Amino acid sequence: MAVETIILSGGRIVCPSTGTDLVADVLIQDGRIAAIGGEATGATGRTLDCSGAIVAPGFTDLGAELCDPGKSWREDLASGSEAGAAGGFTTVVCSPRTDPVVDNPVAVAELLARAAQVSGARVEVAGALTLGLEGQGMSELGLMAGAGAVAFSDGRKSMMNAALVRRSLDYARPFGRPVFLRPANTDLEGAGVMHEGEVSAQVGLRGMPAAAEEIGVATAIAMARLTGARVHLSQVTTANSVAQLRSAANEGLSVSAAAPARHLFLTDREVDASVYDTSTRLLPPLRSERDRVALVAAVMDGTVSCVTADHVPMTSLEKEMEYMLAKPGAMGLETALAATLTATNDPVSAVRALAVGPAAVLGRTADLAVGSVADVVVFSAEGTHEVAGPFRSKGLNEPLLGHTLSGRVLLTVRDGCIIYGPLDG
Amino acid sequence: MNRKDLLGLRGVSREEITEILDTAERFRNVSERKIKKVPTLRGRTVVTFFMENSTRTRLSFDLAAKRLSADTLGFSASSSATKKGETLMDTARNIDAMKPDAIIIRHSAAGSPHMLAKAFPWAVINAGDGINEHPSQALLDMLTMRDHLGSLEGKTVAIVGDVYHSRVARSNIYGLTTMGAKVVVAGPGTMCPPSMSHLGVEVRHTIDEVVEDADVIMMLRIQRERLQPGMMSTVNEYSRFYGLDLDRLRKAKPNVVVMHPGPINRGVEMSPEVADGEQSVILEQVTNGVAVRMALLYLLLGGEPMGGDEHGS
Repeated sequence: MAVETIILSGGRIVCPSTGTDLVADVLIQDGRIAAIGGEATGATGRTLDCSGAIVAPGFTDLGAELCDPGKSWREDLASGSEAGAAGGFTTVVCSPRTDPVVDNPVAVAELLARAAQVSGARVEVAGALTLGLEGQGMSELGLMAGAGAVAFSDGRKSMMNAALVRRSLDYARPFGRPVFLRPANTDLEGAGVMHEGEVSAQVGLRGMPAAAEEIGVATAIAMARLTGARVHLSQVTTANSVAQLRSAANEGLSVSAAAPARHLFLTDREVDASVYDTSTRLLPPLRSERDRVALVAAVMDGTVSCVTADHVPMTSLEKEMEYMLAKPGAMGLETALAATLTATNDPVSAVRALAVGPAAVLGRTADLAVGSVADVVVFSAEGTHEVAGPFRSKGLNEPLLGHTLSGRVLLTVRDGCIIYGPLDG
Repeated sequence: MNRKDLLGLRGVSREEITEILDTAERFRNVSERKIKKVPTLRGRTVVTFFMENSTRTRLSFDLAAKRLSADTLGFSASSSATKKGETLMDTARNIDAMKPDAIIIRHSAAGSPHMLAKAFPWAVINAGDGINEHPSQALLDMLTMRDHLGSLEGKTVAIVGDVYHSRVARSNIYGLTTMGAKVVVAGPGTMCPPSMSHLGVEVRHTIDEVVEDADVIMMLRIQRERLQPGMMSTVNEYSRFYGLDLDRLRKAKPNVVVMHPGPINRGVEMSPEVADGEQSVILEQVTNGVAVRMALLYLLLGGEPMGGDEHGS
C-alpha cells in the first residue's frame, strides 16, 4: 500500500453528504481529498480516467463475519479485507462472532493490532455485547471501547431477554458506541430454514414467519423509546419491519437499520429456482416479493438508512450438505453494490445506503469534501455483468452467482492508497 | 418418460403420470405369476439408500427391482457411514464409485434427493424427503384410486390429518390436482395451516366437512417423530375430532374409497372396523406399490422393451 497522488478524472461525483452530484476531477494527495474540480484538473500525479463512472465515498459495512480467529478456513482478516476492497468497501467492521469471541479488551486490542497489517479495506472491531455472545452476562463494554471497539453487537445471536436488552442500552450509552441488535424471536423462528410462505409450503421446508423478525423490531423500538438510547438493527427484511421503522422515525426515536443487499434483489423463490441450493439458506431468510419491494422502497426513501453486505463466508464444509443441515449465511462484500444498484436502479440511493448511512451509525461522515480522508470508490453503473468468481473472499457461498446485475467496482482507494483496481470501465 | 430422476410430483405432467400408471398396470401381473420375475433390468444395479426408518417402502422398492432382475443393494441409517461422521455427499461419492444405475433415497432433510440428482449421473428416486415429497407413494395411491374410480378427473379426494408434516399428502396434492381431481384437506389448525391453500387445495378444519362429498378419504398417520411441542393436545382429542370411525363413514358416499399410507395407528386415525372394512383398500395400495415402483425403475432406467404378451395385462 502506497500513498500516491491520484487524479480521478472526468467521473460523476456522487456525494449525498455534501449534496454534490456533478462531473469533475478529484485530486487525492497525502491520503486526503485535496481538490475537487479547479486545481484538480491538470494536477500532476497518477491520472485515472473515470469518465462514465461514478466517484463516491467509500462504503462501510457494519457487521461482516471475518471468522478470524477460529474459523480462518472460511475467511481471515486479510482475505476479508481484500474482499471488502473488491466490493468498494473502505471500512469493514468485523463481527465479534469469532472463536474465541471478541468479548474483552485484550481480544479487541489484539485483533486491531493484526487489522493494522491488512492491505484492503480498513478492518474495525465490534465487541460482543454479552460474554461469549451468550445473551447472559454483560461484557466489559467500557474497556472494549477504550481498546478501540467501534460498536457493540452480539452478531447473529438475537437477544431474547428484554430486560438485558434494556440494561445493555443503558449501560452502553455513556461509552458513546452504538449497539447493534438482530431483531428476532428465536422461539418463533423455531426449526425454520427459510421464509414461511407460499414457497416454503411448496418445497416442503419448514418456514420462519416474518413475524419472528417483526416481534424483534417491535421490542427494539420499545427499548429505544424506554431508554432513549440509539439502537441499530443489523438486519431487517420484511415489509412490516419497514412500516414499524417508519413510524418510529416519525416518533423521533433513534432507531437505524440495515437491509442485507441480496434481500433487495432475491426472494424466497430463489430457494426453489436454485433447487435447494444451500447458499440460499440465510438468516434472516430471503423473503417474499412483497417484502422485497417494500425493502427497496425503504432503502430509497431512507427509512432503512443502511445496506449491509451481511457477509458470512462459508465453504463446502458448512454448505455441501442437506439444506436443513447447512449453516445459514452467504458472502456479500463483493456483490453488495451490484445487488443494491440493480434493485434501486439509483446510484445516489446506493451510495447513501452503502456509505453515508453506515458511517453515520458510527458517528462519522462519509463524504468527498476537500480535506476529508481519501476513502473513495469508483464504480460503473452502466451495463450488466453475470456474477462469477473467483472471489477475493475464501467463501464459496454466493447466492447471486450466475445472476445478471449492474454495478461493477472499478477502483477503491483507502487513505489515499489504491486497494483495488483500477479495472477498465 | 424423458427424465433422469423422479424427485417429486410437483411439475410432473399429466401425460407422464398417466404413462407411469399405465406402465404399472401392465407390470401388475408379474406379481401374480408363479415365477415373479422378468429380465427387463438384468445387469442393472439399484441401490436403496434409506437414512430414515422404513419397512414398507424399502421392501417394496427392493422387490420391484428384483422382479425386474436388477441387482440390488441396500444402505440404511444403521449400517451407513453417516454415523461415523461422513457427509451425505461423501457417502454418495462412494456409492457412485461402485457404478450404480439408480438410487432410491429416503432422508429426513427435504431437498436431499435433489442434491444427489444434481451432482451425479444416475437416476434418483425420492422415497421420501423430510416433509416434502414421497412421489412413489402418491403414484400408488393414484393407481389404486384409478382402479376404483376409473378416471381421477373431477373426483374429490379428502386428505385428513397432519397434512403439513406429510410428504405423502404433498405428493398426492401435486399429482391429484395435475390429474384434475379436487383435493380438500382437513386437520387440526396446526397441521392444516392456512398456508396449505398455496398448494391449490381447500383447507377445512373438521372431518365432517370433508367426508360427505368425498370420493376418496385418505387418512394420514400422526407422525409423532415430526411433531413439535404444541402441535396437538392428546391422542384422545385428536381421535375424537379427526379419527374416521363407522359413524362418520356412514355419512360418506356408499362407494367411498378409504385409504391410508401406513403404518396405521389403529384407534387413532381410524377405528379397526374402518381399517378392516370393505371400503378400505389399504392392502391394495401395498400391492400396487410394487407395480408402480417397477414402472418407475423401468421408465427411468430404460429397460428392454416389454413384449405385449410377456408382460401385458
